[in-house]
Amino acid sequence: MRKIGILLVFILAALPAWAAGDTLVIAQGVDATTLDPVNHQETPTGNVTAQIFDNFYRRTPDGKYEPWLGEAKALDDLTWELTVRQGVKFHNGEELNAEVIKFNFDRLLNPDKPLKYSTYFKPIKSVEVTGPYTLKVTTAKPFPLFLTRLTYFWVVPKQYIEEKGDAYFANHPVGTGPYKFVRWVKDQEIVLEANEDYWAGKPKIKKVVFRPIPEASSRVAELMTGGVDIITNLAPEAVDVVNGSGVAEARTVPSIRNIFVVLDVKGEGPLHDPKVRQALNYAVDKKAIIEHVLGGNGVPVGCPLNPYIFGYDEKLCEPFPYDPAKAKELLAEAGYPGGFSFTMGSPSGRYLNDRQVAEAIVGQLAKVGVKVDLRVQEWSSYVGQILERKIPTDAWLIGWGNAQFDADNTLFTLLYGGTVEGGPPQTRFSYWADPAFDKAVLEAQSVVDQTKRQALYKKALERVRAGAPWIFLHQQKDIYGVNKRVKWQPRPDELIWAFDAEIVK
Amino acid sequence: MLTYVLRRLLLVLVVVWGAATLAFGLLYLSGDPVNLLLPLDASPEAREDLRRAYGFDQPLYVQYGRYLIKLTRGDFGTSLRSEEPALDLVLVRMGPTLLLAGWGLAFAVALGVPAGVLAAVRKGSLAELATMTLALLGQSIPVFWLGLMLILVFGLELRWLPISGAGSWKHLILPTITVGTFVTASIARLTRSGVIQELRSDHVRTARAKGLAGRVVVYKHALRNAAIPVVTIIGLQLGALLSGAVITETIFAWPGIGRFVLIAVSQRDFPVVQATVVVFALLLALVNLIVDLAYLWLDPRVRYA
Repeated sequence: MRKIGILLVFILAALPAWAAGDTLVIAQGVDATTLDPVNHQETPTGNVTAQIFDNFYRRTPDGKYEPWLGEAKALDDLTWELTVRQGVKFHNGEELNAEVIKFNFDRLLNPDKPLKYSTYFKPIKSVEVTGPYTLKVTTAKPFPLFLTRLTYFWVVPKQYIEEKGDAYFANHPVGTGPYKFVRWVKDQEIVLEANEDYWAGKPKIKKVVFRPIPEASSRVAELMTGGVDIITNLAPEAVDVVNGSGVAEARTVPSIRNIFVVLDVKGEGPLHDPKVRQALNYAVDKKAIIEHVLGGNGVPVGCPLNPYIFGYDEKLCEPFPYDPAKAKELLAEAGYPGGFSFTMGSPSGRYLNDRQVAEAIVGQLAKVGVKVDLRVQEWSSYVGQILERKIPTDAWLIGWGNAQFDADNTLFTLLYGGTVEGGPPQTRFSYWADPAFDKAVLEAQSVVDQTKRQALYKKALERVRAGAPWIFLHQQKDIYGVNKRVKWQPRPDELIWAFDAEIVK
Repeated sequence: MLTYVLRRLLLVLVVVWGAATLAFGLLYLSGDPVNLLLPLDASPEAREDLRRAYGFDQPLYVQYGRYLIKLTRGDFGTSLRSEEPALDLVLVRMGPTLLLAGWGLAFAVALGVPAGVLAAVRKGSLAELATMTLALLGQSIPVFWLGLMLILVFGLELRWLPISGAGSWKHLILPTITVGTFVTASIARLTRSGVIQELRSDHVRTARAKGLAGRVVVYKHALRNAAIPVVTIIGLQLGALLSGAVITETIFAWPGIGRFVLIAVSQRDFPVVQATVVVFALLLALVNLIVDLAYLWLDPRVRYA
């Protein structure tokens, strides 16, 4: 018995001691893949690099962008003048200046070694240093998205990379950001410490640790034992458990991601008829889905955009009301009084209860006589089929997180149909082709004046509303589990920025 | 003996080549990784650039040839996601997995063999019933359920042990129990039946007749012979341990190869998946060889030509 007692004391003394004092522990589903801030494609990686690096423009918590490491001014439609913030130093003491920014552009624009963020800066033709802290950027065509793309321009050190090489840098990052890199034990932890000399002020939290915990229930368990402070992707089913724990609570934010069903409008089937597509929009009860399938974690929308996104129009984005009678009426008018059937694809586990949302839609459409054959697939092959346009179904559920906060990213990428003479060919996602829509979206790409662009997007949204190429569902809400001792609010762009957080008790 | 080992080593090479080829073929059939590497809104030119940079624009036989040539130098290329050497990424994570599998195996042997012997020696007693019931349970409980229950009891309720991550020996306890339970149960049941059979055999009866102590009879005469099938099952179970580790590693956020390769597969990170397959094939082939050699030691009648 005494031996057991000693053993117990020994074990109790060994409780995890991380999430204590002035350390913030953040648990995400996966580890970072690299710590090169411009060469990855994952939010969890971006969350780590955002602590170590600064971007040229930053995204404010409400989704707007503002100058950060510098400022850019349009001189004309093709030329921009960049002014770099003075007095900023990298963690190794290297100074930030125009040469460093030029090095960053060159690194992104090097065609022999494309980085994953290079694609955001393709329109740039040349970059020229004009003074110690000024540069001139020339673009091949008008580039109205330049400022928003500068939020992807995470600045890396020139000398350090030239000396140590890209590979070393990706594992031992040096930035100008609020936290300095300490160590990275792969798949175990990434430890960062406060940069006391941070140009924007001293961080309130001394130490930040990122831990990958892939299993959702293990993340919740760690949160409830106080082992971690912030967890991502809290399942709606776990919200009550977390809120009842006394230790932590669920915090939500409407995200930049919209969920919708793309309808294959080409060919001669019923989905080719706008009236039918309108009918489908009236036949789906968005509010019921949000309440019963998502635990309230969604906001219904009636267009491809949401309020964070430039180009959004409240009136044109009003959700289609749930009106099965009207749906039936429209179907009858279109010549399908007895309904019809089609196939629909859905991923499973990619978006908040995605498969269950798809199942709910199947049930609701059945009520107006439309029979849907649902085919659920694993994400990587699902998205592969969509990108390669080998989609075996007539409709497919998908989500779109417009991380650029600009209508172009959604409307051009997903709905542009290539009907404008001399314009770019049809893009990958949709088979919808509406000349007036295409003209407006294409024109908006070459106008730097934002008021004019807003008007063009309004025109485009009017066409979308009439054409109803998708079943518009909802804007997803992101759910985080947060220890009550942490003062921090989630942001729509999924960024967890420790510099904004504080430990209050 | 030496020729036997050399011949077996040659066979290991063939196995590795087969596994490498299979991994290459199946991955290429599964589709294009470039689509998963770039944002959905990346331009077709950007996709083409990346495809060229990774050599995916070349014909399949050229890619396969390059792959094999590089393989002979131990070069699996760089990970498509992190751009680090694939083999390094795999080996770094192989350590924790082998550690976990090793501890799981040690746990299984340390608990399973005595439990099996106990059940055999006390055949028909309550001890046998209890041990075998537990063994049956151990073989029937799904790994993920056991892991979650351990987290619930020892992590959330009692707060005795850390429930995820790595870094100290305490982090090893729950994952070790989780990954080792199934194997413990198999070993216990196999040891029991082996020992029972041996206890009935002539040489044991002779040993007893000679007046040897019961303990010596059981451990020296019965267990040694009963150990041969147990060693076989240990060899076979290593595969089960490594695959059980995938689930265990996920539940306990253990930094091993299991969940790493799971992500690599879903992202079609070809070089990483290929390196993992080859390393695993090599490991399992070598373990099989070691098991065969262990027979020699256990049973001097076994001779390999």
